[in-house]
Amino acid sequence: MRAASIRQQRMRSESDGHLAAADWPGLALRELNPAALLRTATNRYHPSVELFLRHAERVQERTGWNESFRRSRVERIVAVDGGFALDGEGPFPHVLIATGHPGLALPEPYAGDTRTVHAYEPHEYAPQVAIVGAGMAAATEWLNALGAGSEVVSIRRREPLRRPLNVPRQFFSRRGLAPYQALERETRAARLRELAAPSYPPGSAWDEPIAAAQREGRFRVEHAPNGAAQIICATGFNRGWMHDPLLAHLVADHDLATHDRWLVLDADATVPTLTGSGRTLAVSGVAAQWAYPAGDTIAGAKYVARAFLRRLCRTR
Amino acid sequence: MSYTLTGRIQSRLVAALPALVVALALHRWWALEVVGLMLGIGLALDVLVYHRALVYQPAWAAVPLGAFELGLIYGAMRWLDLMAPVREAVGLFAVGWLSAQLLGRALFPRFRLDYAESGGELGRTGAVTAVAVTLTLVGGLGAAYAVRPPTVHLHGDVQGPLVIDHAETLVGGVVHGGVDIRASHVTLDHVSVVGGQYGVNVAHVQDVMLDHVRVVGSRLDGIKALDAGVMIHDCTVSSPADPLVTGILISYSMGRPMSMVSGCTVSGTREGISTHSSAVNIMDNHVTGTSTRGILLGEMSMDMASGNDVEGVRGIGIDCMDHSMCEIEHNTVAGAKPANGENPSAGGVAIESYFFAEATVAHNTVIASPGGVRAFDESSITPQ
Repeated sequence: MRAASIRQQRMRSESDGHLAAADWPGLALRELNPAALLRTATNRYHPSVELFLRHAERVQERTGWNESFRRSRVERIVAVDGGFALDGEGPFPHVLIATGHPGLALPEPYAGDTRTVHAYEPHEYAPQVAIVGAGMAAATEWLNALGAGSEVVSIRRREPLRRPLNVPRQFFSRRGLAPYQALERETRAARLRELAAPSYPPGSAWDEPIAAAQREGRFRVEHAPNGAAQIICATGFNRGWMHDPLLAHLVADHDLATHDRWLVLDADATVPTLTGSGRTLAVSGVAAQWAYPAGDTIAGAKYVARAFLRRLCRTR
Repeated sequence: MSYTLTGRIQSRLVAALPALVVALALHRWWALEVVGLMLGIGLALDVLVYHRALVYQPAWAAVPLGAFELGLIYGAMRWLDLMAPVREAVGLFAVGWLSAQLLGRALFPRFRLDYAESGGELGRTGAVTAVAVTLTLVGGLGAAYAVRPPTVHLHGDVQGPLVIDHAETLVGGVVHGGVDIRASHVTLDHVSVVGGQYGVNVAHVQDVMLDHVRVVGSRLDGIKALDAGVMIHDCTVSSPADPLVTGILISYSMGRPMSMVSGCTVSGTREGISTHSSAVNIMDNHVTGTSTRGILLGEMSMDMASGNDVEGVRGIGIDCMDHSMCEIEHNTVAGAKPANGENPSAGGVAIESYFFAEATVAHNTVIASPGGVRAFDESSITPQ
């Protein structure tokens, strides 16, 4: 839905960024197109959102995803003998928390402004648009607004990094993860802040439309909206465990270790003080960044899920 | 893929399994030695270069890195004088490279779900397989070393003819009266042969290597191989004792492994290098002053002649004859002179196809040879 809101056509992820358990075959092979295979060999392949979602539906059907779920609201997780109670129900010996991003972030000056809309909310484009942010969503909005004929004012605090994926590639494998996970707390937090800097992929598909619009006087960088008819905040999500009520309760109730906005986790994304031989409490998604910097990606979800499964197999 | 060092090593060793199986199936020591070289060079590069230089290795890098490793392996084969046929060795490398791509890009990620996030590490099964590959290879190479033929150093002059009837390596010395090789796995290294009916006579055996062998004054042929598989490198055949002597003659060897003649110099014989009903790769030789043909690829042979220099021969420079199929590329024929008589097929022809032979030619240089490049008697010459 968010991809649809910002009219994203292609994923930032590559051929193996899909929801099936095994990386191979990737989405490039599923296109049955030699050009896609060639692009993936040179790291220039990005699946279309449509292909990604179609494949996701097939994985859902094949795995019986929908039938395996019982929907229920959980507000509190409490450690008890034999595992964890979820709002008094349980105990469940092994729990994996996957709460996702804790809400859309709207920077303070724009939050109460009637012209403001978040990039991930459905919207159209006014003739003059101020777009706040410098990451992938902001870059997508620049192109969308220019494509819709709008004049674009980019509001940003820093120049965006140009990076193919959310984090440098070595952080998706043990090569980069092992040294990262061995860092002292403050150094690790500093590294996470560095990795969280806004970025979007390099390439002429991004640069050429912006350069052309600059020449026509339809794209410029400023510090304030200066009377723009519409302000689109491509500013992502609230950051930190404290914005998520479930995690905030968990931290408060069990006095869990945190560092700045991150939950302190073991390398397998488990909560160290609540995980032992008979029980497991693991965290997935953006809240797992302490263990896996790209926690809010599909690769991050798989990393935590596999580690969780390994632990279950050991403890059963 | 961002490999860990352990991941690189495990992936390389396990991916070498198909090449190792092929090498074992071939029942040839050289095949094991080539796989040993592939792994030795590959692992050295992994540890010393790739791990440091390539934090992330994109898929396309497999092509230039593969070509680089192939070049190093070929260089090492030459440097170590490894008795491996080049084409087959490259084929074995191709098996290893392709299986590494297939396993590393498809099968490992398919069957080991955390292969990529583990940096190419394959877990306990992978480690055990890697150790098994290493032990098999080391065991095989150790066995090859243990059963290698004895080496005999010849000093000064030895009165022949010398008959060799068991696998051994002869190094150095001057043999008078010829050498007769009647056993496989024989190597002559830097041996000079003076006189004899045949300088070196190899019959009904294979895996024979003649390296830097010098033959002078033979009465019938300089080097003769009959029903044999021989590798002849950097030899010299000169000063024949009879005008009918052929420099190097390989005949009726089609049922044996492909032979090779490379880097040899043959001068003053009737024919320089001749084949009959054989499969021979003749490359980078220098043939001068022969009286009928420089190089003959004859009698249903399937030969390649490439990179040879044929100079000042009488009759024909390079002749593909009698139902043979020949690939003739990158040779230089200069100053081929007409033989005595009116026969146009011996009229200083640089490259000739004769009597139902099929020759494909490419990138040859012909200088001052009046007969040019011609086909006679239902033969064909096809430019590539």
